[in-house]
Amino acid sequence: MESEETYKKATLRLQQIISDIERNELDVDTLSEKVKEATYLIKFCKERLYKVDEEVQKILEELDNE
Amino acid sequence: MSLNNNESKKLTLLELNQCVSSAINQTFPQGSWVSAETSDVRINASSGHCYLDFIEKDTTGRKTLARARGIIWNNTFRELNKVFRQSTGQNFSSGIKVLVFVKVTFHEMYGYSLTVEKIDPSYTLGDMARRRIEIINRLKEEGVFELNKELLLPIFIQRIALITSATAAGKEDFIKQLTDNKEGFPFYIKLFPAVMQGEKTEESIIKALDQINKQIDLFDVVVITRGGGATSELNSFDTYLLAANCAQFPIPIITGIGHERDDTLVDLVAHTRLKTPTAIADFLIHHMNLLAKELNEITNNFVKVTTYALHEQKNNIKLIGARFPALISKRIERNRSTLLALGERIPAFSQRFMANKEKEVSLLSQQLKQKITTKLERAKRDLELKQQFIQMASPDYVLKRGYSLTSSNGHIIKSTADLQEGATLTTLFKDGKATSIITQINKDQ
Repeated sequence: MESEETYKKATLRLQQIISDIERNELDVDTLSEKVKEATYLIKFCKERLYKVDEEVQKILEELDNE
Repeated sequence: MSLNNNESKKLTLLELNQCVSSAINQTFPQGSWVSAETSDVRINASSGHCYLDFIEKDTTGRKTLARARGIIWNNTFRELNKVFRQSTGQNFSSGIKVLVFVKVTFHEMYGYSLTVEKIDPSYTLGDMARRRIEIINRLKEEGVFELNKELLLPIFIQRIALITSATAAGKEDFIKQLTDNKEGFPFYIKLFPAVMQGEKTEESIIKALDQINKQIDLFDVVVITRGGGATSELNSFDTYLLAANCAQFPIPIITGIGHERDDTLVDLVAHTRLKTPTAIADFLIHHMNLLAKELNEITNNFVKVTTYALHEQKNNIKLIGARFPALISKRIERNRSTLLALGERIPAFSQRFMANKEKEVSLLSQQLKQKITTKLERAKRDLELKQQFIQMASPDYVLKRGYSLTSSNGHIIKSTADLQEGATLTTLFKDGKATSIITQINKDQ
């Protein structure tokens, strides 16, 4: 499933960013960029976890299983 | 009555049947335990008597070797079926192996039949267990037994194909428990109704699986649950065909068929076997919870390292600020001492420089003097030569050497062409002049 791949990639990227920040080698500008990216990724993952996918819902409701 | 002594005597059919009947009675006065397979089991709705055939097949199971009619009177049947169901988890029905105590009778009118009086369920249990093992071994030999278990659960298990009875009591509870989870994870449930007990179970579930398989991309897992109901009839889940279908299904199957004692074959081949629909809902919510927890940990870590990094940056700036004055004065000091050292080297350096320059200048002036002298001497000699030449060319010098100069009317005469007879000539000598008149002109030819 495509969105699974994206989610997995997002979490892996987040881990990468965290260890980058942890190494403490970033200048202020890079740090700010990474923080921005991580914030976006966290938001994306949260939505994937909690948001109702109307499209999936609709497809399954309309699915004829008789 | 002896048959041997009456070989020639003619018997009526009734007499013959009576003879057979009495012979059977003598052979089996009490009855006998007999093992056989049930077939064509039918219960008379009004009388409650159970009619069936007992058969025995050869080892291949294809050829029937023996057959006998059987009957269980309603009183016996009610009690027998109850015991049988409690022990084996299934109704007394066709196609099962039984050990029964029968009264062997031969009725003059209806012929040979076996009247069942007792049943030993442990025999059937043993046979069922053996059949299960045979099916398991067959699935393993075919390499399909582990197939569904080997599938990886997807990261998100949210789109659920639910196979259960449309009327099952637990169905709504399951859907409600899942959709009303307190964390608010979305789940999408599509019901594929199936008969969940009795002989239709196998066919019905396989049909539902086929339907799901047609839209396999729409689902993450299949959930098979009986959603409550009696615990009998579980052997419907123990057939080879159903187990083989489940084992080879392309997405993970989670079962909640709910049986206290043994797992059914469907449970055995399913990806995840749980007891009840409630347990399945818990499992699915827990799975999402793990994801949420992981994301939470990532978020917390991120906040932690970022806060720390920012703190560090601030500290660094403070530290640099504090060290600045010292750094600067140190730097200035270093520059000053470099300058001083350079300054000290200036006198020696300039002296050497000046000495070099002086030497260069004196050399140059010497050369200049020499060149000028040479040039002057050459010019002087040149001048003397020119003077000499001019002296030698002057008329005085020529006159001194004995030449004279003739002129007429102030013009110097160089040719006879300039002369006319009777003209007055003035001749210049070194010590005076003389005047003469031309008397004759002789031109050279």
